[in-house]
Amino acid sequence: MKWLQLFTPISSVTWEEAHKIVDQTPGREVVFLDVRQPKEYARGHLPGAKLVPLGELEKRLEELEKNKPIVIY
Amino acid sequence: MRSRVAAQRLIDWGFTKVYNLIGGIKAWGKEVAVGTEETGLHLFTGVESSKEAVIIGFGLEMGLHNFYIAMQSKVSLESTRTLFGKLADIEILHQQRLVALYREITSTAISITDFSETIVEPAMEGGLTTEEYLQLYKIDLNSELEVLGLALAIEAQALDLYLRAAERSDKSETRQVLFQIAEEERSHIAKLSRYIDRQQDLT
Repeated sequence: MKWLQLFTPISSVTWEEAHKIVDQTPGREVVFLDVRQPKEYARGHLPGAKLVPLGELEKRLEELEKNKPIVIY
Repeated sequence: MRSRVAAQRLIDWGFTKVYNLIGGIKAWGKEVAVGTEETGLHLFTGVESSKEAVIIGFGLEMGLHNFYIAMQSKVSLESTRTLFGKLADIEILHQQRLVALYREITSTAISITDFSETIVEPAMEGGLTTEEYLQLYKIDLNSELEVLGLALAIEAQALDLYLRAAERSDKSETRQVLFQIAEEERSHIAKLSRYIDRQQDLT
């Protein structure tokens, strides 16, 4: 049994690159999005990161802005 | 792994500047390699027809089923094993429903074994085995949380596939079946999320 390749290429960045994106964004308005579960978040997260667990992403889309940079972890 | 799926879904929904952080929170403050996560992956270009959606869906269900069965022997908690067993059973029901749908679409009486061996398996040619998949994403099998996180990511991926396939489907029966399966994958995501929450409470 083989898996199909289900994952489309997306931009991956290191933390270092993520900070460069912040420096280059006017007003430093970059959203850091944490898609883990609330308790994982509680145990340690990036200060200021927005928590939206993966399972809730679809119904909470309006909380995110389409044209602002979003860095997800 | 979850962030990767989240990033992909946001791009599908029209978000333009989305970045996936390599290594997640664990990589914070450490040196990490660049760009290796995409190695060997090629673009999966949506679903063209109902027939194709059913074939790909069936392959996905086989993959999910195999994943849960393989993980059952690797996880240490009895409750996780039970949960994976239940989820694996439901994926079998999905396979049966998908093959029934395929029979309807193509007006044939193909058996589930023939369908799986002569139509689905060849379509999965060039894919990765579950073991290769795990290696690619460097999942730590000793970490229950990472295994559960991967299961969540795969279910979210399946949900995404079914919803997109349903929307593109021109037949209402096909659309209905695909939406129904999508809803069940959505409930799997909720179930896995709640389970992760409970585990976090206990440790």
